[in-house]
Amino acid sequence: MAKQYDVLFRLLLLGDSGVGKTCLLCRFTDNEFHPSHISTIGVDFKMKTLEIDGIKVRIQIWDTAGQERYQTITKQYYRRAQGIFLVYDITSERSFQHIMKWASDVDEYAPDNIQRILIGNKSDEEEKRQVATGQGNKLAKDYGMDFFETSASTNYNITESFTRLAEQVLAANKKDLDLLRASVTDELNLAALEEEEGITDGAAASQKGCWC
Amino acid sequence: MYSHIIYNELRKHSWSGIPREVRPITWRLLSGYLPVNMERRDLVLKRKRDEYFGFIEQYYHSRTDETYKDTYRQIHIDIPRTNPLIPLFQQPAVQEVFERILFIWAIRHPASGYVQGINDLVTPFFVVFLSEFVEEDVENFDVASLPLETQRNIEADSFWCMTKLLDGIQDNYTFAQPGIQNKVKALEELVSRIDEDIHNYFKRYEVEYLQFAFRWMNNLLMRELPLRCTIRLWDTYQAEQEGFSHFHLYVCAAFLIEWRKEILSMVDFQGLLMLLQNLPTIHWGNEEVGLLLAEAYRLKYMFADAPNHYKR
Repeated sequence: MAKQYDVLFRLLLLGDSGVGKTCLLCRFTDNEFHPSHISTIGVDFKMKTLEIDGIKVRIQIWDTAGQERYQTITKQYYRRAQGIFLVYDITSERSFQHIMKWASDVDEYAPDNIQRILIGNKSDEEEKRQVATGQGNKLAKDYGMDFFETSASTNYNITESFTRLAEQVLAANKKDLDLLRASVTDELNLAALEEEEGITDGAAASQKGCWC
Repeated sequence: MYSHIIYNELRKHSWSGIPREVRPITWRLLSGYLPVNMERRDLVLKRKRDEYFGFIEQYYHSRTDETYKDTYRQIHIDIPRTNPLIPLFQQPAVQEVFERILFIWAIRHPASGYVQGINDLVTPFFVVFLSEFVEEDVENFDVASLPLETQRNIEADSFWCMTKLLDGIQDNYTFAQPGIQNKVKALEELVSRIDEDIHNYFKRYEVEYLQFAFRWMNNLLMRELPLRCTIRLWDTYQAEQEGFSHFHLYVCAAFLIEWRKEILSMVDFQGLLMLLQNLPTIHWGNEEVGLLLAEAYRLKYMFADAPNHYKR
């Protein structure tokens, strides 16, 4: 069976309602943009496979509803994520202020080695901007995160930001990955190993090629 | 006593679908909004409609107050995202109606407040009550062309019928959404008994019921079915006792089993989740919903009153 991917991990999109989480994801996975997208209820799921440094990385991306009432549900997804996008809307000061709250939730509920990245979305709406690029930069620096301004509408920095977070997750788990590779003979790859053992993606996720 | 008999007869006849022409009045009756007693109807309608517009006058201006501005902001964000593909819901006049209905409902129900998804629940009522005045295509009808009073009546009736519906399922939307969590657990339990293959398949691929059924409960399957099917489904929900709060569980189980073949042909977690979150119902109509409801009825009959007696 052809090798579909080497490693698999889970990313999570967090941020206030209406900042454009679903639109970022649709642009990334399907290269589509719908200005009036239906609101997300609970958690939605998409996936995509990227190639980073010759490694085929399959990422599952969980897109969450931003409204506070859903957080009992959405927090259940934090602990199984390896990477988190904290998304605000550059035209909404409020959504930017709330990044601190989202970040502290991540500290509380996500694993210790979680990788985070800050996203200021809707960068095409310059005339409505309420959050300066410098503010985003500073906040990201304070939290030790990378920062991208993006636009799902114009497809600006979308692939870049998803790839960056994926790279960070890969790097953060490189030791595990190397160990895993060392334990496998040259001919075998991780995905093939999983298939041979009859382990599913999901089961493999918790045992082999990913860090959950 | 007499009106009680009429009401039960009406429920019985409505269960298998209400003809379009009498659906608006039947929904008003079944929801308990309009009295069965003919002599009281006009009076009650007038009083309730006046009462609703009294609320608007008294409270709607407070949407910009500190206390309510978050509620209003959330509603305001969600309205353009309600049925975005149906032109009717993109009309400013219609969006304003929805904002008023949802805001007034939210501030009168502080235990839950407005929760995303509740916006969807207004649409069947609005479309059905509007259909009384539209000959053909409701989804493209220009609401502003109706007399103001007609518009107002549709708005008030939608508000009250939605309120009646939500009264029965409010714990779906209170803190931590206990109603939904319980129903998702109940669905899992039910499926484990009626279709072990599917249940074990989910276990094997680590699919959790919450990952797909949360939305089924939160939005009463409205996100999974075309609007015309939801309207047909609600004929039965309103004819059933505890249709929205209890029978819906069996409909969800029947809905899941409907996709048995597709589910069991998936070979990984991703495939399963993508399928379950995007079930292909676009072509569905009355026939499919009718079969779904018949199966749900069968499940309810077999499992509701004797939860342990049968195991496949």
